Amino acid sequence: MGQRAVMNETNVDERVIEACRNGDREAFRLLFETYKDRVFSIAVYTFNGDEGAAGDIAQQVFLKLMTSINQFRGDSSFTTWLYRMVVNACIDERRRRRRFLPFGELESRTRMTDRKSQEKRFARIELAGCVQAAIAELRPKLRMPILLKYVEGLSYEEIADVLSCSKGTVASRLNRGHKELARRLGHLRDQVIAGE
Amino acid sequence: MFSHHVTRELSAYCNGELSPEESSRVAEHLIRCRRCRSEHEVVRFGVSVAERLPLIQAPESLWSAIESGRTKIPPMRHGKAWGWQRQFAAVAASILVVVGLAALWLYTRESRPFWQVARIDGTPRIGREVITKDGRLPVGEWLETDASSRAKIDVASIGQVEIDPNTRVRLLETKPTEHRLELLRGRMSAYIWAPPRLFFVDTPSAVAADLGCAYTLEVDDEGSALLRVTAGWVALELRDRESMVPAGAACATRPGIGPGTPYFEDASPLFRQAITKFDFEPADSDWSKIPSLDLMLAEARPRDTLTLWHLLSRVEGKDRERVYDRMVALVPAPAALERERVLRLDEYMLEFWKDALTNVWTDESFLRKKWIKVWTKGLGKIKGGEGKK
Repeated sequence: MGQRAVMNETNVDERVIEACRNGDREAFRLLFETYKDRVFSIAVYTFNGDEGAAGDIAQQVFLKLMTSINQFRGDSSFTTWLYRMVVNACIDERRRRRRFLPFGELESRTRMTDRKSQEKRFARIELAGCVQAAIAELRPKLRMPILLKYVEGLSYEEIADVLSCSKGTVASRLNRGHKELARRLGHLRDQVIAGE
Repeated sequence: MFSHHVTRELSAYCNGELSPEESSRVAEHLIRCRRCRSEHEVVRFGVSVAERLPLIQAPESLWSAIESGRTKIPPMRHGKAWGWQRQFAAVAASILVVVGLAALWLYTRESRPFWQVARIDGTPRIGREVITKDGRLPVGEWLETDASSRAKIDVASIGQVEIDPNTRVRLLETKPTEHRLELLRGRMSAYIWAPPRLFFVDTPSAVAADLGCAYTLEVDDEGSALLRVTAGWVALELRDRESMVPAGAACATRPGIGPGTPYFEDASPLFRQAITKFDFEPADSDWSKIPSLDLMLAEARPRDTLTLWHLLSRVEGKDRERVYDRMVALVPAPAALERERVLRLDEYMLEFWKDALTNVWTDESFLRKKWIKVWTKGLGKIKGGEGKK
């Protein structure tokens, strides 16, 4: 998992960021290609598989990146700066959506029901679906460290930087997040162990 | 032995975030500590499911959307720019959105997950519809009984709930990881044969979390509730306040306060009255000149250490010391119990003591009989249901 971030980030160095600051379209494209799937994945998991919402979030993040990359001064790593932007965009979108919560909830429930009929035939899809659903149900403060750890492959220290909290807080939230996932998905234990 | 528990470091240990020295300390502790080992199993399972989160590919169209967003010029906010065509388009778009949302609402309403409900007596209603024989209770819908009605709900495949007269319940959630009912008023009895913490009941003053059990829950018009457990355990929770209630015990709740202190129903009437006063009417000094806590300590039997254990974290200073001393006088303390750590409300020490006291609180043979009854009933119903299909 941790290799994801390392492998891709080698493409993005100070020169690429400087070129982006100067309005170089190709440099920005490289930045986009490096991070698009990870930004999109965080948004998808945050919004319970809603890829439309995730696309909007990713679009917002990259547009903001374009307009505000001049403000990146290198005090923290570029990745930390970017993921902080993603986390804030997700929080803003969540706040905005609260007014429409019943529709969102019903939509996700419907999706789960539709999926359920297929689950009997596709045990692996069921497992992935249940994990995604359980992630989506975590409280935001437990979910985001899990996503930054397992989707982005960040270290505890990097997660602490992104979330502006201590490393101990990250460890504690991950501990609670892991236990919560284990509790919610306990009925799939045999399936998970068999797949290991 | 208990001063070096490693439960807080288990995620960092599983994620390889500890130094080699810390890591080997945790590993050595796990070999000799059963509790941390079982916690480690849980965390490790959580890690292994989290590791299954795949990276999701962003759609190809994302780049072009960003490009078009980049070149988009913000609309000028001159009054004339909003000609009648634009206003017409805006109204038409709003109508389309409303119609679309209405259609979505109708669609989702019809395809909601549901529980099967069977009439037992009278004319129970789901929403506005009367159930003559059986019906469906979809997510978000209310089931209501009048003074002469009763109904039975199949909770997915994990249990059954009987709804008594004058009761109003709503299905809030049903999915593989959680089944949740809201009991607004009235009385229900639940028989659940699922793993712990899959079935929840929200009341106006607390949430009842099933830990594998049978129980009744009653809510009055003010939102106060009374839980009575007949088999297994139930946790009553509201924010940070939690009461663990085993078979044979009961616990009351009040709006704004949450769960009170659990007690065994065969405790003395004076003991039970003192709990009610202590939990919900601490300012009422008219009913007795002796403080409630003194009465509880005096009346407590060994089994009532259930109540006293909960009181440890609900009283302070000298009172906490008195509760501790009374508990060890009623049931000898385990050798490893450390008084100072209990008085500091050390989480691990309190849990350790609770585990040790559980044998005093639960009558194994009684529980076994109850469980056999619940399981037999449940399995019989499942088999009966399969037979009908």
